[in-house]
Amino acid sequence: MHDDASTDVAPFASPSRAVRLHQAAGAGDQEYLTWAYQTHVTPIYQYVYSRVGNRPDAEDLTSQVFMKATSGMRTDVSVPQLRSWLYRVAQTTLTDHWREYYAEHTGALDEEVTRAPAARENAGAVQRVDSLLATLPDNYRRVLELRFLRGYSVRETARELNLSETNVKVLQFRALNRAGRERASTS
Amino acid sequence: MNDDPEQLDRHVDHLLRNRKPERMPLPDEDALGARQTAAMLRAARPGVGLPSKEFLERMQRLIKEWVGQESLPSLPAARPSRRALLLTGAAGIAAGVAAAVGIDRLRQPRAPGARMALVESGSWQSITALAELPESTPVAFRSGGIEGFLIRRGSQVSALSAVCTHMGCILNYSKLRDRFECPCHGATFRTDGQPSNQHETRLPALPALQVRIERGQVEVYTAF
Repeated sequence: MHDDASTDVAPFASPSRAVRLHQAAGAGDQEYLTWAYQTHVTPIYQYVYSRVGNRPDAEDLTSQVFMKATSGMRTDVSVPQLRSWLYRVAQTTLTDHWREYYAEHTGALDEEVTRAPAARENAGAVQRVDSLLATLPDNYRRVLELRFLRGYSVRETARELNLSETNVKVLQFRALNRAGRERASTS
Repeated sequence: MNDDPEQLDRHVDHLLRNRKPERMPLPDEDALGARQTAAMLRAARPGVGLPSKEFLERMQRLIKEWVGQESLPSLPAARPSRRALLLTGAAGIAAGVAAAVGIDRLRQPRAPGARMALVESGSWQSITALAELPESTPVAFRSGGIEGFLIRRGSQVSALSAVCTHMGCILNYSKLRDRFECPCHGATFRTDGQPSNQHETRLPALPALQVRIERGQVEVYTAF
């Protein structure tokens, strides 16, 4: 069972190596394709999660993406082709999701989806959030940092900011609306 | 119907508890934008937004089934060789995008180029200043969909994928034990990337990522 692959760092399968091996060995397309899809589950999940922000939706949508993608794909594809296909399917799946969830006012979505350069999505998510937060007034930024980045409850946030809970919710409301508009105007 | 602070907070509260938010018609684009921004902020918290091991395992199984159903019987061929299976299997279970740029640098320390035909649109991404890296203590980073660790030894910096080669969970570094530890099934790896405990079968080493130093900045070659 163990050949040199178990003792040597090098044989770890990078895609190019795997594909060459796959071709050289006449390996079934099925194994290759299965492998190629499986390696993308984590990045696609992260991408979807950053758009919906909760686990149950991220899991449902990610599995929808792979179900759709596996049923419409040729088998002779390279890893980058497969990757951009997966991101495209993820984008349309997300658009459908927002549409279905929040019925109206999804006009702005189409634009976003056609524009998004698929694969860059996970890159610099944290930096994007930082620069978005930097555009906000101090109290807006503070409430979002406490709630989202530090996971404070409304009550804890209220104590920290010396506000009533109602005021925290109002501040959060204004901050998210403002940030949403900033996001739309800069992206 | 107007959006209001209570309603938006209920949505936020669901996200923070990792629950599905309620479905409801939204009054305007601001309301939608606020919710999309909330999702983006939610995902920015460190450690949030990675798939659970149960989900990963389920997806591995499902993908196998789905690909199986779709593949044409007109490709009867060729059982893959044991070696090809071993290699693709290893990476398949593993990898996340990490595998997509997992370059076996030890054997072929070459710049991206011909050899990386499959990473057509890769690029060097600056991660941190060399001066920021502590001696011999791995530092986690995330860039271009890559989760990895940078390790400086003297003036040499190496980069390893932080994706466990068992089931694809993200590894933690334990300073106490000076090793990488998987939160899912307990696999451990030395800081040179070699597996250090016996799992069911011996795991592949963590793939090395290409790293270079440009003007004092440490850069890693990522898929995007």
